[in-house]
Amino acid sequence: MAESISIDAVSKEYPGGNLALKDVSLVVEPGSFVVLLGPSGSGKTTLLRCLAGIERLTSGKITIGATAVAHDQLHIPPDKRNLSMVFQDYALWPHLRVRENVAFALRRSKLAKPDARARTQAMLERVGLGQLADRYPNELSGGEQQRVALARALVAGTGLILCDEPLSNLDADLRERMRVEISALVRESGATAVYITHDQAEAFALADQIGLLQDGRLVQFGRPEQIYTEPATPFVARFTGLSGELAVRVAGQDAASADSTVEIGHDGSALLRPCRARTSASWASGGEGMLLVRPTGIHLGGITAGDHHLTGTVADVAFRGRGYEHAIDISGHGRLTGVFAPFRAQRGDTVGLRLDPAGCHVFPVAARDHAATANGQAAATNGHAAASNGHAATVPLSDVGPEFAPPAQQH
Amino acid sequence: MVSRPGAGQLTATVSTKRPGPASAGPGRRGKLASHARRLLRGRSVGGLIGKPIFWILLVLFILVPCASSLLLTISPHLFDQQAPGQGPQWFTLTYLRQAFTGATAIAITNSLWVSGAAAGLGLVIGFPIAWLTNRTTLPGRQFVFPSMWLILLLPSWLPALSWVRIVQVDGVIYKLGLNWPWLSHLIMGPFGVVLLLGLRSVPFTYLAITAGLAGLGQEFEDAARVHGASRAATLRLIWPMLAPAIWSALAINFAEAISDFGVAATLAYQSNFTLATYQLYADISNFPPSFPSASAMGVLLVAAVAIPLALQARALRGRSYQMLSGRTRQAVRRRLTTRGKITAMSGLGLFYFVSLAVPAFGAVSTSLLKNFGSSFSISFANYRALFHQADQLGPLYRSLAYGAIAATVTVAGGLIAAWLLAQRRQKSSRLLDFLLLAAVALPGVVFAAGYIFTFNLPIMSRLGINLYQTATLLVIAYIAASLPTNARVLVGPVSQLQPSLRDAARAHGAGEMLAWARGVLPILSRPLLMAWLLTFTGVFLELPISQLLYAPNNPPLSVAIEDNLSNYATNFGVGMAQSVFAAAIAMAAVGVVLGGYRLLAPAGWRRIGVASRG
Ligand SMILES: Nc1ncnc2c1ncn2[C@@H]1O[C@H](COP(=O)(O)OP(=O)(O)OP(=O)(O)O)[C@@H](O)[C@H]1O
Ligand SMILES: [Mg+2]
Repeated sequence: MAESISIDAVSKEYPGGNLALKDVSLVVEPGSFVVLLGPSGSGKTTLLRCLAGIERLTSGKITIGATAVAHDQLHIPPDKRNLSMVFQDYALWPHLRVRENVAFALRRSKLAKPDARARTQAMLERVGLGQLADRYPNELSGGEQQRVALARALVAGTGLILCDEPLSNLDADLRERMRVEISALVRESGATAVYITHDQAEAFALADQIGLLQDGRLVQFGRPEQIYTEPATPFVARFTGLSGELAVRVAGQDAASADSTVEIGHDGSALLRPCRARTSASWASGGEGMLLVRPTGIHLGGITAGDHHLTGTVADVAFRGRGYEHAIDISGHGRLTGVFAPFRAQRGDTVGLRLDPAGCHVFPVAARDHAATANGQAAATNGHAAASNGHAATVPLSDVGPEFAPPAQQH
Repeated sequence: MVSRPGAGQLTATVSTKRPGPASAGPGRRGKLASHARRLLRGRSVGGLIGKPIFWILLVLFILVPCASSLLLTISPHLFDQQAPGQGPQWFTLTYLRQAFTGATAIAITNSLWVSGAAAGLGLVIGFPIAWLTNRTTLPGRQFVFPSMWLILLLPSWLPALSWVRIVQVDGVIYKLGLNWPWLSHLIMGPFGVVLLLGLRSVPFTYLAITAGLAGLGQEFEDAARVHGASRAATLRLIWPMLAPAIWSALAINFAEAISDFGVAATLAYQSNFTLATYQLYADISNFPPSFPSASAMGVLLVAAVAIPLALQARALRGRSYQMLSGRTRQAVRRRLTTRGKITAMSGLGLFYFVSLAVPAFGAVSTSLLKNFGSSFSISFANYRALFHQADQLGPLYRSLAYGAIAATVTVAGGLIAAWLLAQRRQKSSRLLDFLLLAAVALPGVVFAAGYIFTFNLPIMSRLGINLYQTATLLVIAYIAASLPTNARVLVGPVSQLQPSLRDAARAHGAGEMLAWARGVLPILSRPLLMAWLLTFTGVFLELPISQLLYAPNNPPLSVAIEDNLSNYATNFGVGMAQSVFAAAIAMAAVGVVLGGYRLLAPAGWRRIGVASRG
């Protein structure tokens, strides 16, 4: 039942010359849950609407299942694509009752009336709205409306379900609960899902595969673990959660290095002693780079042991239940945030920080300007992926620097 | 007419001669501000004195005349009216019953069906225009909105007169050698009346449907398509979401058409097709006048206006189709095919041809013909006469002054009323709401009749109120007639800024006055300006109230034009020149005021206005 999707070199230019999608290609396996992640305006909605058939492509080709649905000479209208969609603002028809809203999506399955009714009711029960079937949408809370939209998308059992930021209008608590429900219901239906969000925590929690969009380009596509441990570009690393960044100089690349790490020199930088960091570029000795540090790549300790790479002053500490998160000022080199420790370091204390190569990524400074050379060849993910849990989510997204605009990675 | 359009009307409150909450004078704006502020707090000395005065004026100039216009028919004695041959009665249903027979019955029947047909015609023309301009790539669509305001801005008697002039036997078409009696018969009769009233209700339809379409986000259509609905099925699914807009368009169209006096007094009258508003006017101005019959007609008219409006309000209550949605996606415009473009543009062209071009041609051509009826040579004699005869230019100045005074006072009063309305909790504000709503439903000619009944009463002169047949009363009537609509239009912006903005300004250290200037005035500046313009243009060319209430020897513009026009042999051309000139002045005034605002207002003010308009 689940459909595969193939998006091939798709571009979309809106009237007025706004190029919202630039040469996007990706392949989605049947039954997988794909999350498109990216900042506002990166083209997520546009891609989804192209998939749905609401927008026409400017160029490229989209295939759903075995059927080409859009290319240069072809545009199959949305109603013939046999998919369903959950809209950001729900788009429930306000003049139809909950039951009628859901049943509308069943029209194309041409069921007998009683069957359709029973199926609608069953679906409403499934999302916990059995009692509210005769209400109008404006008599429901936001969360209930979202469930109706979800029921409408699921009821017909289509092979492909599209969701455009379905949780963005809900408050934090409800959002978490609805996320679990959506995940369960969609997976239970067996359909392929394409789900949009700009919240990386939501993306990591939901996805089998994540596609990162920046400025109309797909910059990386892969499993969440891959995205976290092998970010293809500085943008990807920033968007998926960083503690902070340090300007460094690469001491040298060991061609035989099994885990694609390089040695980072310590002269003239914040580092007290050399450390290693992951990379996918090839480095000449002395190349300038940015060391992007994940929260999981820093271990907080005292300075007495003498094995630390950095020292800093605790600027802030926040209790997070499982432990403490610190903001650490590195004198002359900015601040690292979200530095986790099971103990509390006092504000103003001087602490030592040890860097773990698994959570440190070095990119050439020039990566701002030309295509990142990162590709799927990066080293195996050495079990570190397990650490890419909700912890990373606490890193403020404001860390995402707009000045980094690496062009698309080739697929 | 300019009278009580849902969208078009204006304002007012309080005479400039009276010490009132909004009395004019140096620092008027400041006084108004502080007054409104006190009203807002409702506690200060100003509030204690100002509020009763405001209410007294409201009762005297709106409530009492409205009530009299309706009560007189069942209680002539109350108004010292000697019913001919029947003696004074405290209570009688005779006149009301009579209204269902004879000439009155014919007039009201005519009005009912003509207005129904006009409302339908307005919808049939206005709906596609609204859809084309809002949802397609129709070339030139940006001009549609202003042109709708232009149609609203001109009084309905102007195009009606032009049409008459063009098609009447011996009219412009005949002079041009087109011998088309069928056209004369067609326009000079019910069809022409429906056509003109229908064209006039197109702007109301357009505004209502545009608002409806704006609330109809693209997602509703997308959701239908995505879940398997064909294009046709999608239309079937979502069109009920436009039903509220369609119903309000129909209700407003109908109310406007049946209240109209301009077409009734010109085209319909000259075609011997009597409409209710004209019949009412005739009852009052014929000799001997029959006030009770006029009042009976008023009752019927109010019922005819109020019932559809009430039904519509009732039908829409409880089920709001408006879904709150912060980021409704802008609707995608349908790309029209070349054929579609040609069809749409010729349709639109035809509409403008009939509603604007023909009347403009009729008026301008007639004003340029010396001595209509004899030769067919173009000359500026009529314009020369207009400027050289003092009694021709006088009404123009008069109406300009009336318009400016009425608009200013109305906007001030409307602001105060809006402020009171915005305080939903108070009982008095609900009373005010009802009062204003009722007054909006009252046709202008009924309203003016109420003024005559009320201020003609002996008790008024015993009270020392000698306003009957004075320019003061005329202006007060303009103001009172426009105030309700104005207040209701201003409630929206006013309730948006309720007190937090002013408090925010004060909290950041601005004095009270400054708090107003900084925090409140900018937000209200555009709505106030639009209200002022609408009132001004409405009053400037207003007909029914002017006809019934003008001070003898001091006719306002519309009355002077009517006089000239009815003086066929000698003054027709001058009347037409006067009309053309007046229309030009009205448009120039709008241009100057809007242009001045654009140039002079701080950039930030304008942005606020634009944003809140969108
Ligand atoms: N109908 C349209 N016409 C022109 N430009 C558009 C249209 N819709 C979107 N765009 C532009 O295309 C780009 C991508 O928009 P899109 O809606 O796909 O972004 P998004 O990633 O979904 O953002 P968000 O997270 O804010 O929803 C933006 O620059 C947007 O301004
Ligand atoms: Mg979006």
